[in-house]
Amino acid sequence: MDKKSNNFKTMVLIFIALYLVVIIFPFIWVFLTSFKPTQEIFGEGAFRIISQNPTLENYANVLKNGIFRSMWNSFVVASITSVYVVMVATLAAYAITRFKFRGKNLLLGIILAVSMFPQMIIVGPIYNLFMNLNLTNSYFVVLPYSTITLPVAVFILVTHFNKIPIALEEAATIDGATSMQILSKIVFRLAAPGIFTTAIIVFIAAWNEFLLTVTLNTNKAYHTVPVAISFLRTQFTILWGEVTAATVIVTIPTLIIVLLFQKQIVSGLTSGAVKE
Amino acid sequence: MKRMGFKEALFILPAIIIIAVFSLWPILKVINYSVFDYQLNDQQKSKLSLDEKFNVDLFKENADYVMMFIDMNRFSFPEDVQGKVDEVLNNVNDFKELLADQSGFIELGGELKGQVRTHYSKLIEDVDFFINNYDFPDRENLILIMEDTKKCFVQSNFIGFEGYRNALKDERVHDALGHTVIFTIVSVALELVLGLGLAIIMNKAMKGQGIVRAVSLIPWAIPTTVAALMWSYLYDGSNGIIANILQNLHIISDSRNLLLSGGGAMTSAILADVWKTTPYMALLILAGFQTIPGAVYESAKVDGSGVFNTFFKITLPLLKPSILVALLMRTLDAFRVFDLIYVLTGGGPGGSTETMSIYAYKTMFQQTNFGYGSVVVLLMVVCVAIIATFYIKILGANVMERD
Repeated sequence: MDKKSNNFKTMVLIFIALYLVVIIFPFIWVFLTSFKPTQEIFGEGAFRIISQNPTLENYANVLKNGIFRSMWNSFVVASITSVYVVMVATLAAYAITRFKFRGKNLLLGIILAVSMFPQMIIVGPIYNLFMNLNLTNSYFVVLPYSTITLPVAVFILVTHFNKIPIALEEAATIDGATSMQILSKIVFRLAAPGIFTTAIIVFIAAWNEFLLTVTLNTNKAYHTVPVAISFLRTQFTILWGEVTAATVIVTIPTLIIVLLFQKQIVSGLTSGAVKE
Repeated sequence: MKRMGFKEALFILPAIIIIAVFSLWPILKVINYSVFDYQLNDQQKSKLSLDEKFNVDLFKENADYVMMFIDMNRFSFPEDVQGKVDEVLNNVNDFKELLADQSGFIELGGELKGQVRTHYSKLIEDVDFFINNYDFPDRENLILIMEDTKKCFVQSNFIGFEGYRNALKDERVHDALGHTVIFTIVSVALELVLGLGLAIIMNKAMKGQGIVRAVSLIPWAIPTTVAALMWSYLYDGSNGIIANILQNLHIISDSRNLLLSGGGAMTSAILADVWKTTPYMALLILAGFQTIPGAVYESAKVDGSGVFNTFFKITLPLLKPSILVALLMRTLDAFRVFDLIYVLTGGGPGGSTETMSIYAYKTMFQQTNFGYGSVVVLLMVVCVAIIATFYIKILGANVMERD
């Protein structure tokens, strides 16, 4: 019996190890390539694991191309989006879970429908709107980001607010607390972990957004990471050295967020049961 | 629960405004675009106009030339049509007077429409008479001017459901729909099976769950375009390691076929998507596993249920709700796929990986045909609605938690 369960454990471990290798392999390979000089990336040396003449040239080239500018842009739009979307969603989710009002189900239905619509549907009209108001090539692109982030944020927060017992608020009312006090001292404090989780999910979604930025912000100065990266392919069809170096650099922030906040991310993903 | 008063309504107001402006208004607008032949780079079609329009500036410019050519060639015409020459000149003069206070594009409506029409058809008729019957020095010039003058009328570009009819007959829409359906079904099926398997294994593993979870999150968390670019390097025909490995394993005959043949490109896109999303799927299902209390398994064991029996009769039914919701979201995501294919193959080679999103995007932003692009997008919406209804009504996915 013991032997059998030991075998089983070994099998599980092997599978897990195999899985990790499959997931990580592309990153490792890209990482290794990023240190290869151009002549080793192409031709015979292409499949050598460790570079014979490692170089930082690829990184230098990518930095010259302004990769930090696009990372800064991503950081700005993702931060602004997280802040305003989470604020709006928190208020809405609180109202949805605490107040009775007509059309609540309609509102929830609309939010759900918006999360299901293809994002492509808003791009045309938003493009025209931004052209008419002269808002293209600016950080105003964060406003339409709400289409992809607000529904998710509301759903995650509704789940969290539902977990906070109403009895606490009722008790506070009896003790004479005003509704503002109840909100700031009880509800938002208890909901803080949920709000934080939502902020992280929204941040990642906004950081990764591609379609709106590529259509609205055509100026290179306003490219975010996903857009800047997509232009590397057409710009340097074969300069894999720079492509891999850029990939390594832009993956680092994501890596840090995932390592620091993995518990919150998983809870956010599963609590709303909604993606991104 | 408190009833909502004015103060309470302020809580949902911001959300309602944002959703209305940035999600609902664009949707109505797209429906509006879809019934017009609306093309940004075509001056005659770059506005949505229900009524016919008349280009006054263009007319005034041409009218002077028409008068000049007719007047200057007056003596090339026989005596008996000299009266007709004056008729043309008077007509054009009246016409110009009628539009004296106007400029730019004007909407033709009511009385003006009739007057403009009368003058215009008389002008065409008379000038054509001279052009057809006589030879005179400026005949060629007059023909050119008249061709230009005919552009003064800008037809309404309202086309009703014609765009939809065209789309239903459009081979490219059929192909795009086919590619999207194949991509969606194959990638979601693979992700479900692999994700379920992985979740079972992860659930059994006692040690290292933190690492497994962190690693699983990375492919999901990185931007899709970054993943696509990474894979396009790995798939590269001459320098890509994955393409090379597949060739050496004789799975593909030539490493260059991977991205340069239709089937190869679709397979590559699906595999990249599976790599990116299976871990995410596994995490969602794993979370479902962890809500099943251990006691359920204990009692199943006591009752003598075997491993397979327990899995199919107990675990799967209990997992069904979380799997269904995850599946629905994944199916919709796969159906809307854009970033991955845009960067990895751009829809190629030869349109063999062009999905609905890619086609809609190309129509709108490369051909600047917003009208037809909107039709394609709305067809996608219909598909999305069908998918959602299928999952929610037929499979019983419970997307909204009841409060």
